Amino acid sequence: MTEQTLEKNKKKIKISNLHEIGLLIALILVLLLFSFTTENFFTQRNFTSILRSASYVGLIAFPMTFVLITREIDISVGPSVAWSGLFFVILIKWYDFSYFSSAAIVILWGILLGYFIGIARTKLFIPTFITTLALWSALRGYSLFVTEGRPIAISNKDFRYLFGGDILGLPTVTWIMLGAFLVFWFASKYTVTGTNFYAVGGNPKAARNIGINVDRVKILALVGTSLFSAIVGILFVARVSSGNANLADGMEFDVIAAVVVGGTALGGAVGTMTGTLLGCVFIAMISNGLIHWGIDPDLNKVVKGIIIFLAVVINSNVTFKSNSGGPKED
Amino acid sequence: MEILELNNISKSFGAIKALDNVTLSLRSGEVLGLMGDNGAGKSTLIKIIAGNFKQSSGTINFEKQKVEFSKPMEARDKGIEVVYQDLALCDNLTAASNIFLTREIKRNFGLIKIINFSEMFKRAKNIFKDLKSETLPDEEVKMMSGGQRQAVAIGRTKLSKAKVVLLDEPTAAISVRQVAEVLELIKQLKNQGIAVVIISHRMPDVFAVSDRIAVLRRGQLVANKLAKESSPEEVTALITGAIEKA
Ligand SMILES: Nc1ncnc2c1ncn2[C@@H]1O[C@H](COP(=O)(O)OP(=O)(O)OP(=O)(O)O)[C@@H](O)[C@H]1O
Ligand SMILES: [Mg+2]
Repeated sequence: MTEQTLEKNKKKIKISNLHEIGLLIALILVLLLFSFTTENFFTQRNFTSILRSASYVGLIAFPMTFVLITREIDISVGPSVAWSGLFFVILIKWYDFSYFSSAAIVILWGILLGYFIGIARTKLFIPTFITTLALWSALRGYSLFVTEGRPIAISNKDFRYLFGGDILGLPTVTWIMLGAFLVFWFASKYTVTGTNFYAVGGNPKAARNIGINVDRVKILALVGTSLFSAIVGILFVARVSSGNANLADGMEFDVIAAVVVGGTALGGAVGTMTGTLLGCVFIAMISNGLIHWGIDPDLNKVVKGIIIFLAVVINSNVTFKSNSGGPKED
Repeated sequence: MEILELNNISKSFGAIKALDNVTLSLRSGEVLGLMGDNGAGKSTLIKIIAGNFKQSSGTINFEKQKVEFSKPMEARDKGIEVVYQDLALCDNLTAASNIFLTREIKRNFGLIKIINFSEMFKRAKNIFKDLKSETLPDEEVKMMSGGQRQAVAIGRTKLSKAKVVLLDEPTAAISVRQVAEVLELIKQLKNQGIAVVIISHRMPDVFAVSDRIAVLRRGQLVANKLAKESSPEEVTALITGAIEKA
């Protein structure tokens, strides 16, 4: 590396990096705070538990980052996870499908659902907020209806140990999440597809003019969240050995909170996978720490609400000012 | 050689007649200054050439062949590039990423294609050097001055083997020194045999680079003559309607 490029690199601590560094510092402070104020927070067991919940959220938060970057949103992920898990169990228990083919069908369902949301957005011009709000209600309602609110248990030790347990000291879901992180991180930084998400979010009109298939890019982003909701649904079943209509209650909130805390702008164009990963751990750690403080789970939600609000305030001060002056959509 | 011929082009938006029977042609290596008041139809004309809009009536010949572009991609494939009035840049991407958007240089690793940023930065740097512009390839566009943004937008046209470059207000909202840079670039495009259409409200800029001046008034072509046979005074009068036609 020449001296010149070295100097340039030094100059160039980007705003996105600033946010990530800030978040990392906040994360460490919160870690220290909980460690010194509670007895059982700073234990391997508890860290595993934090990692586990951060991982379920993360698997959906990565595709959600792309969705927000393209100026869309998917709030249906919680009910989508619950229904996918239930659908998986129903196929096995009621229709005698194998685990493998059930998983394949549920994943296909996830892809089709995302495709539907995308088509509704790009061809029928229905805002994703509305479509996914409708799905949020419909999927949870239907899940409760078919199960009459009762869980459906399955018993398969191999499935539970493999996908609901640990490998080499880390939860399986954490390994899967880390793999997904690498793929999404790589895609966002080094591929044309990733660049197109940013281009579409940065200036949809320009992107279209230049020849990017804006509709396809948005559909792809939305397929991402639905697909990963389906996958997380299956992984949840592996963890709790049952399908349950009440599962993943409020998960859409955790996912979107993690993404926004991670520095992604709700207005699109700005966001990184590293930020989202940190955001997931941050949200999971706060939830966990508050439980250790003995705070009522309902109050826990209040605290999380305040955090996402503050995150958006900080976010709009750090990034928005310089970022989102871009043209509005056509 | 006539590279682009517009025959009796009209365009209506509902009740608004944005273009009314415009006939105009363009030669390789020629710079045409397209002038007119706000709403005269200049941008509409450019957007029809570039395939953004379809004309309501009339025909377009490109290299003596009749063409009908249904989207900008098709015009670009033929060698018609536009720099839009609103620039059409993505603020959140770097200069190089903007220049190469949809035409990224990639390295193949089996099925995986990775964007070759170092090559893109290198080529973008050369493009900016040609434009005598101090624009950094790896800087995000949102940090840039109007002139640098213009260099990025014009840089896009240098990437392809454009035969016709259409510039909508390239010298609006940039500093005097940068105007000189942009005009210099237009001269370079001309020297390379590229046909250029420049839309501008700035009389001195148009006269500095144009071989020919065309004036639109309320959708009608009221003048189409050599720059050296006209004058800023005459063009001003044509734009306002003080002179009916020339
Ligand atoms: N997409 C559109 N829909 C409806 N009307 C339009 C559209 N585009 C342009 N017009 C109308 O057509 C007319 C010509 O507009 P145009 O943008 O071509 O003007 P212009 O000469 O480029 O003006 P300016 O100097 O302000 O850029 C105007 O009356 C404008 O309102
Ligand atoms: Mg215009």
